[in-house]
Amino acid sequence: MDLQSFAGPFVPEIVLLAATLLVFLLDVVRVRDNEIVGAVALGSVVLALLLVLADLGFAPLAVLATVPSSSIDASVTGAPLYSFTSLGLVFQGLFLLAALLVCLASLSRPKDERGAPIFYGLLLLATLGMVLVAIASDLIFLLLAIELVSVPTYLLVAYSRRDARALEAAMKFYIIGALSTTLSFFGASLLYGAYGTTNLHALATAEAAAGTAGYPVLVLLGYGFLIAGLAFKATLVPFHAWAVDVYDGAPTDVTAFLAGGSKKVGLFAFFLVFLAPILFVRTMASGSPFVTGSVAVGPVLQITLAFLAVVTMTLGNVLALLQKEMKRMLAYSSISQAGYMLIGIAVGTAPALAGATLQILAHVLMKTGAFLVVGAVAALGVGPLIDDYKGLGQKRPLLGVAFGLMLLSLAGVPLTVGFVSKFVLFSAAVQAKGYFVWLAVAGLLNSALSVFYYARVLKVLFFDVAEPRALATGAVVGGSEPEILPVGGLGYGRAAAIALVAVVVVVLGVYPQPVLGAIQNAAQHFVNLGG
Amino acid sequence: MVVSFVVVGLAGTRMKRLEWGGWVAVAFSAAALLVGLLIGVGEMLSPGSYTDRQYTWLHLPPAPGAFPHGVSLVVGTLVDPISALMLIVVTVVGFLVMLYSIEYMHRDQGLPRYYSELSLFLAAMSGLVISDNLLEFFIFWELVGLCSYFLIGFYYERPAVASAAKEAFLVTRVGDVMFLLGVFVYFYYYATSGPAGGWAANGFVFTRGTAPFLAGSMGGSSPLLTVAGIMILGGAAGKSAQFPLHVWLPDAMVGPTTVSALIHAATMVAAGVYLLAVTSLFLGFTAVDQLAIVAVGGFTAFFAATMAVVHPDIKRVIAYSTISQLGYMVMAVGAGFAMVGLFHLFTHAFFKALLFLAAGSVIHALGTQDLFKMGGLRKPMRLTAACFAIGGLALAGIPPFAGFWSKDDVLSSVYSQLGAHPAYWPFFLLAFATVFLTGYYIFRAWFLAFSGETVRDPTLPHPHEPPWVMTVPMVVLSALAVASGLLIFVPSFQSLLLVGAGATGIPPTFSTTDLLLSSASVALAAAGILVAWSLWGNGRVVPTEIGFAESVRRLLLNRYYFKAGYDWIGAKGVYTVARAADFFDQFVIDGTIHGFERIFGSLSDRLRRIQSGFVSDYAAYIVAGLITVFVLLLLVAPYVVSRIGGG
Repeated sequence: MDLQSFAGPFVPEIVLLAATLLVFLLDVVRVRDNEIVGAVALGSVVLALLLVLADLGFAPLAVLATVPSSSIDASVTGAPLYSFTSLGLVFQGLFLLAALLVCLASLSRPKDERGAPIFYGLLLLATLGMVLVAIASDLIFLLLAIELVSVPTYLLVAYSRRDARALEAAMKFYIIGALSTTLSFFGASLLYGAYGTTNLHALATAEAAAGTAGYPVLVLLGYGFLIAGLAFKATLVPFHAWAVDVYDGAPTDVTAFLAGGSKKVGLFAFFLVFLAPILFVRTMASGSPFVTGSVAVGPVLQITLAFLAVVTMTLGNVLALLQKEMKRMLAYSSISQAGYMLIGIAVGTAPALAGATLQILAHVLMKTGAFLVVGAVAALGVGPLIDDYKGLGQKRPLLGVAFGLMLLSLAGVPLTVGFVSKFVLFSAAVQAKGYFVWLAVAGLLNSALSVFYYARVLKVLFFDVAEPRALATGAVVGGSEPEILPVGGLGYGRAAAIALVAVVVVVLGVYPQPVLGAIQNAAQHFVNLGG
Repeated sequence: MVVSFVVVGLAGTRMKRLEWGGWVAVAFSAAALLVGLLIGVGEMLSPGSYTDRQYTWLHLPPAPGAFPHGVSLVVGTLVDPISALMLIVVTVVGFLVMLYSIEYMHRDQGLPRYYSELSLFLAAMSGLVISDNLLEFFIFWELVGLCSYFLIGFYYERPAVASAAKEAFLVTRVGDVMFLLGVFVYFYYYATSGPAGGWAANGFVFTRGTAPFLAGSMGGSSPLLTVAGIMILGGAAGKSAQFPLHVWLPDAMVGPTTVSALIHAATMVAAGVYLLAVTSLFLGFTAVDQLAIVAVGGFTAFFAATMAVVHPDIKRVIAYSTISQLGYMVMAVGAGFAMVGLFHLFTHAFFKALLFLAAGSVIHALGTQDLFKMGGLRKPMRLTAACFAIGGLALAGIPPFAGFWSKDDVLSSVYSQLGAHPAYWPFFLLAFATVFLTGYYIFRAWFLAFSGETVRDPTLPHPHEPPWVMTVPMVVLSALAVASGLLIFVPSFQSLLLVGAGATGIPPTFSTTDLLLSSASVALAAAGILVAWSLWGNGRVVPTEIGFAESVRRLLLNRYYFKAGYDWIGAKGVYTVARAADFFDQFVIDGTIHGFERIFGSLSDRLRRIQSGFVSDYAAYIVAGLITVFVLLLLVAPYVVSRIGGG
């Protein structure tokens, strides 16, 4: 196997890896300027994103395509560690988009802040892990790639070493993360015990080959452990408790990356692991004490995931309703959004997966953007409480409008991407009939509930009168001497990232069809492949 | 081009806070007029052309399940004979009213608000008539309703005005909800079955010009479709102020007279008729729905006219007459003659706007709306008197004025259906009797205001003719009040109406009017005018305090106590429900939320203090969660699946 054909498909990953090494090398040679290092990181992420878009068949970039189109969505033989699916490539794009926004915004960090190379290096490393998750086709590969995401993010949370809250958050994150990793690997080992393979395609083949034959409880236990392990990453209730403290305690840019990017890793892992057992009809061997006769296992998994979805969105929303701090409110809203996304895999049809993917895309934009705004507002010297944002929309109309658009999109108001994604997702659940209709109803009720707390923020932003002392200056807090950044204290990078999100949220809300069509195609291929 | 038209209209809302802001709005509406006329002429020159430009907003591909053909949401513009006709009405009246407003409104506060709301209304109304699908139609429908609410409440400092605006909003909202339910029923019906299997899949687009889904089965009998049709009728009744949702329109007269002319006479209130016409041309109604529509229309025509007979307020008399005329249109559409209804809508828009503007001219001069305080205005306001008379003759249906041709078509169309549908008889007779009432009440108003020697109330200012910006629109509309009916003899215009009508399968009766019927209705109208003259001519005022007549008068003035009844229901019924809901809200929902707040608040406070306990608690959650997942996977879910038989 020559280098060209081996390395070819991995050019995006290699770009990220090379950039990671370069950034760490820059640290060694004492080039620690935030803007230089940041530009390297941003450049590599943008390049990787362009390569992925080219692989997805985005015509203007066709020359850059590195994955042969014949190997995308090809039916897999043997037991490879990785394979290229168009849905996987879509997710690579989403992960890189989140990384791009965070890198762009981080360009505006204070110049004299220490450790810029470490920050960007860890960010790139985690991004590399996320990109690898998207092409995994083996449980071990998948779980290791998730670890490659997790370990750098533990460090990123602890990155401001003098911030006690951040350190505490990192510690919690690490302990709970380690526990969850253990659960995931234990689940994988049970599956290996049952089937003698950890390859996802081989597992799917084994499911298919067994027809309607009995289903060993061992396998269900394995899936149970995997649900618990992956639910940590995806912040599903009741595996979510760490998320609020960590999102709250971490530096806001890191929070944006966690909520916007790395959490989606867990959701895509759900797609990879659970689609096959949901699609293939098999029955339980020993069944349940309550049940006589055989029961199909696919619906059993679906009901379990549906239950988790409803609990997650409901509890996330109710708790978000009660928060007084902006970051914690957004954290709970992020948890509830994970519930919506889980609907996609619980329903398990191509339209539902497309809806969930679109919802994830929307959430990458909205939540990353929202946390970036929160970071920007904090840098302007505004407090953490929602009430501290009073009158922001009048003092800073553009920032207020951008934030308002993100909140409207989170609430699912028409002409924003949040509406489109919810429409596609919920109508897919209705389409699937049966009890999935109730899943859509639960989703709609929850959306209605969530409008309440988003609208409250909008009211604070635009209709409440500002307190006189707030927002007096554009001085950046944190530098040794106050430094006035351009664009009203936001800095070019952060302003650009926020503006980009605001524009894309509306553009995708008004003209979603190209992106929607691509995602629907990808999801259809993914379902045809059997996971 | 059509899109730019909507954009132009919206751009009109942008200009604000300028002394000459009104002229900007006039300029934009003039541009809109130009575009509207071009579209109309283009459509007349090539009748039957359907220009549908659309883009798919959202598309869900076909998949097995509830919507086998997929679902599309589209945004588009459709120019066809009907929308061209409506576009002409909206832009012509819109432009003239804008111009008239310059003088009529110049003493008022809040003019930027007025012009931007009026421009937004024009944009929304144009959007409504060129929508190419039902959902888009509904969005614009709501938007014009909102503008109407704003503009009725223009003088919001007065309590009566604020409450009238609210009343209009709430009553039409009842209709809107019914309309939306109707849309849902159609969505449900045509997503999975029905002649066009994939109506949901093609985005609810009106493919006008083809036979309606229910064509040939005007007696189509699916109960579901009947329900949907009744719901659409409800929506139309709310917007077009038909019985029993008519109560809001007379009260809406507290808005500026210009608004009454544009929104509450010529355009927005006609949207309900337009909805019925489009639905009947595109979907068709079942026989039951048709009867219901004819009944509502015929009854409303008569019912509203009786209330116009006694009212002392010049604007309200015209408002009741609007309701009555809308009833004619609704009846024609219900009988299966959508284009006849739309033709009456077309002529009515001009002569009713004319009546309102002429009334506005009087109000502008005197500052009162009370007919019994006016009088003798014929001499100082010669032009206004003539305009009002032309509008009145058109309304009464005296040839050759416009109202004659269209009203006659309505009556003869319905008459032609009496053989097949004897159940239409009573409503036809009511509508026929209304012709007499119409002639009477509008000339009662004319005689009270214009005849006689002097103004009855000497405290009023000395009347005078308004400046040109007000008279020009009145003169133009007077010309249209004559010509718009005669247009039916212009072949290219007639072809517009015939093309649209082709879809119903029933040929319209334009210019094949039943001579006997026509003579009878003209005679009735003339008799009405004569009675009005004999009672109120030469400034006479008839004493009304006589026994039986007085009690009838009081019943009519109190609008058959409908409003009082609704108020009572509102006050007693709704208020009680609201009290209960409030109680529920305060004690149950708030209690729950506060309970949650207290529980979670105290819990998280406690947890925060014990830092070491934190992580182990989280770990405990995970273990608990793991156990939950196992219970679900092994016990609960299998049980549920065995019960409901899987997904």
